[in-house]
Amino acid sequence: MLTYSFNRLLQLVVTTLGVVTLVFFTLRLIPGDAASAMAGETLSGEALDRLRDQMGLNKPILIQYFEYLRNLVSLNFGDTITTGLSIGDLLLTAIPITLAIAVATIVLTIIISIPLGTLAAYLAHKGHKTLDNLITGTAMLVDLMPSFWTALVFLLLFSLTLGLFPASGTVSLDEPVAFLHRIALPVLVLSVTQIATMARITRTAVLEVLSEDYIRTARSMGWSELRVLFRHALKNAALPIVTVVGLSFGSLLNGTIIVEFIFTIPGLGSLLVNGINSRDYQLVQTLIVFYALFFVSVNFFTDLVYKRLDPRVQF
Amino acid sequence: MAITFTTPARASFLLRMPKLPGMRFLAGNKKARLALIILVPILLLTAFASYLPLQGPLQTNLRAMMQEPSFYHPFGTDRMGRDVLARTLAGVQVSLLVGFSVATIALVFGIVLGTIAGFFGRTVDRAIMSIVDIFLAFPSLLLAIGLVSIVGTGLIPVILAIALADVPRFIRLQRSLVLSLRSRAYIDAARTVKASQWWLMSRHIVPNTIAPLLVAGSIAAANAILVEASLSFLGLGIMPPSPSLGNIIRDGQLYLQQAWWISTMPGVVILAIALSLHFLSDGIREALDPRARK
Repeated sequence: MLTYSFNRLLQLVVTTLGVVTLVFFTLRLIPGDAASAMAGETLSGEALDRLRDQMGLNKPILIQYFEYLRNLVSLNFGDTITTGLSIGDLLLTAIPITLAIAVATIVLTIIISIPLGTLAAYLAHKGHKTLDNLITGTAMLVDLMPSFWTALVFLLLFSLTLGLFPASGTVSLDEPVAFLHRIALPVLVLSVTQIATMARITRTAVLEVLSEDYIRTARSMGWSELRVLFRHALKNAALPIVTVVGLSFGSLLNGTIIVEFIFTIPGLGSLLVNGINSRDYQLVQTLIVFYALFFVSVNFFTDLVYKRLDPRVQF
Repeated sequence: MAITFTTPARASFLLRMPKLPGMRFLAGNKKARLALIILVPILLLTAFASYLPLQGPLQTNLRAMMQEPSFYHPFGTDRMGRDVLARTLAGVQVSLLVGFSVATIALVFGIVLGTIAGFFGRTVDRAIMSIVDIFLAFPSLLLAIGLVSIVGTGLIPVILAIALADVPRFIRLQRSLVLSLRSRAYIDAARTVKASQWWLMSRHIVPNTIAPLLVAGSIAAANAILVEASLSFLGLGIMPPSPSLGNIIRDGQLYLQQAWWISTMPGVVILAIALSLHFLSDGIREALDPRARK
């Protein structure tokens, strides 16, 4: 386990370095350069050159690269180009918000989807076709709904028509109740898709296990159906479920970008979209690296959990 | 819209499928038939959109603004009196083009690079896969957003950005397919009669990977359509006034309360297309792998 973790960690570091390098050099490929792209038609000649100096674009590219690495390691992300705010501060206010949405979504998803998927598997196993088809059919339909569209439909239904949740307004962590109320609808939108995915995977995994000999053995020992389902079947079906929780984290991050945009929540996603629209490459670069590292780390921990659940997995 | 199709464990399962035996299955398979029932009318409407008694997708009519769905405007009209159905059909054209192009690009590059990595192994494999791993470190929409911010907006950049995000996934899938084929007995048999490397790859390996790749390809097309819509919705994809399903929905967002149909209708169409492509993928899998039938 220790060698595995170490090797996997090493791989994580290599991938991280790759991501950082890729992002850095790709942004230097922009026709013209970041300075002229940012300034558009507004600056020319000397002013543009001064901007380049300010952005450090006149130095040799390798020097720029190492300075960039050094700054990243020391968590010094610099200032946004357009507004001059500290990117570190922006991240510090945005991260808790996005994280709260992501964590709430994962918790809600697990609480609902795993029992639902197990139930569907049980129904399928017992031959209750109609109910099983109803659950799986709905799950597939919901799974394929574009999240921005689901968000608008939910906004129309729950917010504009029924008035249950606010559609806009301030977002502040200082007032936990108001904050939860404000992020409830985005979390609901994200959860619906995630639940659909997870319930389908859980159903398949549990269904596969249900026809195993040891389930029959467990039944023959007189355990209750619930105990057989959750203690024996679900435990053995956990492997693919854990993998998918990890994998679907990517789509969850994608989703946060969209719901933050729709519900005007000042998280990482809104920062990103605004950064791109205002051509703030410094900010965009930092955010993309940050998202990727986040995603890679989650995958890393998923692999560790996976290895713990199934020691046969080889590096 | 979570779509995962390239876990190695699933790849080896896909390999149990035989070669693609023509297209006869489309008529015989229930899911494939369902896919066609949804897809064919949409395709026909899109192809013959200009012959339908509709306003042009860009034509405004200030006397018929924000009208509810009716006989003359089945999907209603938007704030400039443009016909939402006509715009949706024009958007579907864009969507289908994006889906098809992305799937094709991803398949071609996936087959070539994945086969090379899986077949030759060693240094070549390590070089290709380390680059693939870097690309897989980005969530797909994020990668597309990042790329669009560099190559710019519009149809071709969007296709390229989404395809570039998909290619690594296909390389990985193809590589794992090739790896599990490489050690099959019939490959050894071909080697013993001195088949060349090129012969092995082109005659024995690649043809046997086509079927599982098509299954993944139709899902990738659905995925690409969703990503394009998301990009356009965020204002980073196809730019108005050119219609795309994503930017029509974005347009309607502001008038959600007064004119629910502007945003809702194109969404239903995206859902229908994505659903039918998934049915198609399931249909292909079931037709080719008897074990997948229940």
